[in-house]
Amino acid sequence: MNSADLLDLLSLAPVQRGLAAILVSGVGMPIVGVFIVGLDILTARFALMHTALLGAAIALLAGINPLAGALTACAATGAALVPLSRRPSGTSGAMGFVMTVSIAVAFLLLAAAGLPASAAMELLWGSVLATRPADLVLLAALNAAVALAYLALRRPLALVFFDREVALASGVAVDRVLVVTLVLVALAIGAVMPVTGALLVDAVTLLPALAARNLGGSLGATVGLAVAFGLAGNLLGFGIALALDQPVGPVLVLTAGTITLGTFLLRRARGGPA
Amino acid sequence: MTHPTLEVVSLHCVRGRQIVVEDASFALQPGEHVALTGENGSGKSTLLRAVLGLDRPREGRVYLQGRPQVPGSPAVLRQVAWMPQRLPLGRFPFRVDELLASSGNRAAALESAGRLGVRGLVSRPVAELSGGQLQRVFLARALGSLAAPGRAPLLVVDEPTAALDFAGQAEVADLLVGLDAAALIVTHDEPLARRCDRCLSLALGRLQDAP
Ligand SMILES: Nc1ncnc2c1ncn2[C@@H]1O[C@H](COP(=O)(O)OP(=O)(O)OP(=O)(O)O)[C@@H](O)[C@H]1O
Ligand SMILES: [Mg+2]
Repeated sequence: MNSADLLDLLSLAPVQRGLAAILVSGVGMPIVGVFIVGLDILTARFALMHTALLGAAIALLAGINPLAGALTACAATGAALVPLSRRPSGTSGAMGFVMTVSIAVAFLLLAAAGLPASAAMELLWGSVLATRPADLVLLAALNAAVALAYLALRRPLALVFFDREVALASGVAVDRVLVVTLVLVALAIGAVMPVTGALLVDAVTLLPALAARNLGGSLGATVGLAVAFGLAGNLLGFGIALALDQPVGPVLVLTAGTITLGTFLLRRARGGPA
Repeated sequence: MTHPTLEVVSLHCVRGRQIVVEDASFALQPGEHVALTGENGSGKSTLLRAVLGLDRPREGRVYLQGRPQVPGSPAVLRQVAWMPQRLPLGRFPFRVDELLASSGNRAAALESAGRLGVRGLVSRPVAELSGGQLQRVFLARALGSLAAPGRAPLLVVDEPTAALDFAGQAEVADLLVGLDAAALIVTHDEPLARRCDRCLSLALGRLQDAP
């Protein structure tokens, strides 16, 4: 494909919306990834995706917008994580339980109502080029909220990520910080799912954060690098996918993955731990 | 009449199904330095955590300068200077000066870091310190908290010399014994315990005055 064709493509409304979607998620989602690593809730994102599915199923049954149902379920799961994330044993066990039970209940509900499971499964699939205007507005709003929350809370957050008890001793309202960040993490994941598909959420969220952690010397530097990697990976993936006429999602994962791998190699070359 | 700086009344702590601390009562008068000793696993850290509000005791009351505190709430932790036994390293790079600033009085913490010989480490990530360096930094942080506004004059430290070299043990003992604030010091360091005003010992869940 030559550059004129690419420009033609970019004049199409769905392509523009897709581009806007990956641009805004290139800013906010890597910060979400940093929150996930910092709070040590890596398993929680799977649970979130499955409770989102349950929320969507309930919404379909009730005849309301499935995305609204999914987001409500995400917010509730995020809030429920607060007491769990305080336990030394962490969230993995509880999250595995929540995940399997929600998906089972979601399928039962859909079967009982005679609805095709694919109606809710759409959420798990998602497509960048199928981003609707409403999805984009929601995604932009949540990514902006994540970025603002980070800017407003970066000092207390750095302490909470360092150690909850030291944060408490320093006068940080740890529970309030946890509620804000966990609910935002949950909502942002719920909102990005219809765009990237659940399977690719990690590519825009966790991979830039892990790549940044390989190189960042402080929380601030880590967040800055994560956003830079997120934007670069998303734009590059989107451009390559369009140019080669390939599906956006998988190409995005590959570019983000390549960047992450590159940072691991760079850290090793600098003599850091492998 | 002046209140004790810290007063603990019939504290009971359980860990799992095990009763770790039974009916512990004691008080620290202003400026008094009390050592808390006992075998490994006898419940010293458990008692300290319950006093600080990091864990909820099954029963018991805690008063700070005469004011009752809500059991199991971290209010006490916020009002005193504290150093835990297990020192955290964090999941993201966190610099020593950020940790010192979290004491509530960065200048005082930095000055203490100087006295403890770790002033030159301020721009290093906490996770890259040696065990003894880390202990000195956390001690400097606690001493900074003592000088922070709105704090009670009370230092609560769990094995403050466990990772230190011989000279460091003596220096820190001098420093602690010389404090004007009251101090509750969990320790296995016999010379340090002997230099405190009083020594309590925990055995089989019971707190006793030690000779
Ligand atoms: N999180 C926990 N869950 C269950 N039991 C625990 C936990 N932490 C400590 N214990 C148990 O409680 C008892 C008291 O532990 P604690 O840490 O208070 O001892 P300690 O006196 O501080 O010992 P040390 O001198 O080794 O620091 C021990 O038997 C220990 O195994
Ligand atoms: Mg102990």
